[in-house]
Amino acid sequence: MAAQPRILMLFTTFLLAQPLTILFSVSIGSLAIPFNSVIDALVNGFRGDDIVSTVIWSIRLPRTITAALGGAGLAVAGVMLQVFFRNPLADPYILGIASGSSLFVALAILAGFTFGIVASPYDPYFLFTASFLGAAAVSALIITLSSIVRSVITLLVAGLMIGYLASALTSILQYLADIERVRAFIFWVLGSFAGAKWIHITPMTVAVLAGVTASLFLAKPFNALLLSDDYARSLGVRIRFVRLSAIAITALLTSSVTVVAGPIGFVGLAVPYLARLAAQSSDNRLLIPLSALLGSTVTVAADMAARTLLSPIELPVSAITALFGVPIVIMLLIRRGSL
Amino acid sequence: MMLKTDKIVRRYTEIIREPRHHALRSHKLKVGYPKRIVISGVELEVLPGEFIAVIGPNASGKSTLLKTLAGLLKPLGGVVYLDGREITRWRPRELATKLGVVLTERVNPGLMTAFEVVALGRYSYTGALARLTRRDKEIVLKALESVEAQHLANRRFNELSDGEKQKIMVARALAQEPQIIILDEPTTHLDARNKIEILLLLRRLAREKTITVIVSLHEVELSLRLADKLVIVRDGRAEVFNNPEEFIIETGVETLYLMNDRVSFDHISYTVEVHDEPKRGTPVFVIAGAGKGALVYRLLKRLGYVIRTGILHENDIDYHVAAKLRADIISEKPYQPITENTYLKALHAATSANIIIDASPPIGLLNSKNLELVKELRRRQKRIVKIIEEDDSPRDYDEVCCTLAMLPRILEELIR
Repeated sequence: MAAQPRILMLFTTFLLAQPLTILFSVSIGSLAIPFNSVIDALVNGFRGDDIVSTVIWSIRLPRTITAALGGAGLAVAGVMLQVFFRNPLADPYILGIASGSSLFVALAILAGFTFGIVASPYDPYFLFTASFLGAAAVSALIITLSSIVRSVITLLVAGLMIGYLASALTSILQYLADIERVRAFIFWVLGSFAGAKWIHITPMTVAVLAGVTASLFLAKPFNALLLSDDYARSLGVRIRFVRLSAIAITALLTSSVTVVAGPIGFVGLAVPYLARLAAQSSDNRLLIPLSALLGSTVTVAADMAARTLLSPIELPVSAITALFGVPIVIMLLIRRGSL
Repeated sequence: MMLKTDKIVRRYTEIIREPRHHALRSHKLKVGYPKRIVISGVELEVLPGEFIAVIGPNASGKSTLLKTLAGLLKPLGGVVYLDGREITRWRPRELATKLGVVLTERVNPGLMTAFEVVALGRYSYTGALARLTRRDKEIVLKALESVEAQHLANRRFNELSDGEKQKIMVARALAQEPQIIILDEPTTHLDARNKIEILLLLRRLAREKTITVIVSLHEVELSLRLADKLVIVRDGRAEVFNNPEEFIIETGVETLYLMNDRVSFDHISYTVEVHDEPKRGTPVFVIAGAGKGALVYRLLKRLGYVIRTGILHENDIDYHVAAKLRADIISEKPYQPITENTYLKALHAATSANIIIDASPPIGLLNSKNLELVKELRRRQKRIVKIIEEDDSPRDYDEVCCTLAMLPRILEELIR
């Protein structure tokens, strides 16, 4: 209860920092645009005849918004899975959910499975669906396993194994596919917000907003789940319902991000940790919104770093999140005794 | 005469058959896991405010039984009724307001404070965002108070000691405002003080708040002292005893240990005796009475001496202790003066012993022969060790005086 002002300060800080980061992200790049021009362009709306407006509205803004949404989605998925598995090392990527996404996207891009639904396997809505189905399939597999094995370690190993299996199948597909398709796929796998278009943003916004909102309603049962499944049940939690919802939500969040930006590692792992450290609390009612804010800020910053550090060469954003994420995770692992 | 007895018996049965409201009841209950029945035929009737101890060896199925009674496991057969309704028919949220549990699993709620953990007990009372009303907060604080842990409220749960954690988990169950609390081995990792503190707390809850407590324990003696009813779980069965005395008389506490005559239960001291000390074979004669011998016997027994003692009346507390320790006892009938014959027997037993210990029993009319015995032994120059309470009390240099603490050393020296 004494932590109340601290929490208030945290939220205020990030609510202010977030728009500033976005402003920065839109302003910085190979073409540096001053803040006032950025604001002008944003206020005046898209104008095709103006180069600044075009850069902002068709390149930087969609990209930044995608990064912001993606970061928020991954961080929230991370919070949920860490509580769900009662393991601080759980994140969507480690459990093979993203590998499942990759495999299904590979099936679409590399093997050209369109099921006759769409004309092109590159159709963003179709890829979104493929990615979602891949994530959902792996999630369902993990949950089924979790009800059989009950041991967290076994489950994590199972998640890793599923990840390997998906990767193996993906690499076979890559080996057999022609070079053009492989390039398109590799580009997807490396993870980048560069390809973000407005057309991606609509389904993604809906998915992330829905996922984050739904996860807020799971914060209460998730707090009870911190004790144990049996304790949670004895407190009145409907375990089955909560499990299913949690898996559906994390799959939705993970896949919606993965399909647009590819697998972005470490955000889902490190951000929940950082949020917990900053808030000094395990209350998911705080951690979920805080992680969303923190995740989106961090990811926008990482994306900014990815495209400016070696400009004009653009680094994969996963490389940046890992470069910054790894030391943080190691540091936190060493300190884990106190967490 | 016959007719009168009949009447009384009928009246008792009428009283016993008076229907009562059960907090929890099981009928033909079968518990276990899908492929393995662990316990079957459990017939348990629990009244509001009863304190029920569940005892049994590890892996006997205590936890499985408790989890089934708590509605966390589905019965494999039969039913559990809570408040007259089948436990599986209660909705989780409703059930949580009736029944709280404390389990054996260790929990790690991250950075949660003790207050937050206890507040989880309000889960089924709060809204979608778990916002605590003023009343909820009061109940949480009261729950902390009743386990005497108010001072822990703002501490992190993970930083508490095992005993404190257990109290917090009990407080969390209390915050559910339940009619029943089921606890699975809540004393396991606790030290002596915390064990008793938790158990007394639970009994107080049962007595004062009429909360039914069902608790599995490994502390046999404490269970006998505290429980209203006993459930003995073993060999795939759960026997229910209406009180510990019924168990002691009908089955015997010894049967819990499966160690034949190496363990016995003493009805008078209500304790468990063990008989497994190595025999050193040196006979020692103890002149005792009125409880003065009890600690001397214990000490000698542990060191492996062969104990002979006398002259004790059969109703003397020392007689009882000596008999439990399987000593040779020279004894006299209750309330009878010691006869010459008994005296001679004692004299014979004492003179043939290596050492004589005078535990300084009080001497009165009925046992004055003990004084005679000491005098005679002294006359025969037998080695007598007199037990005194403090080192600086006046000594009689005709004999060795020592405190109980020094006795082992002295005996060793004298025998050498």
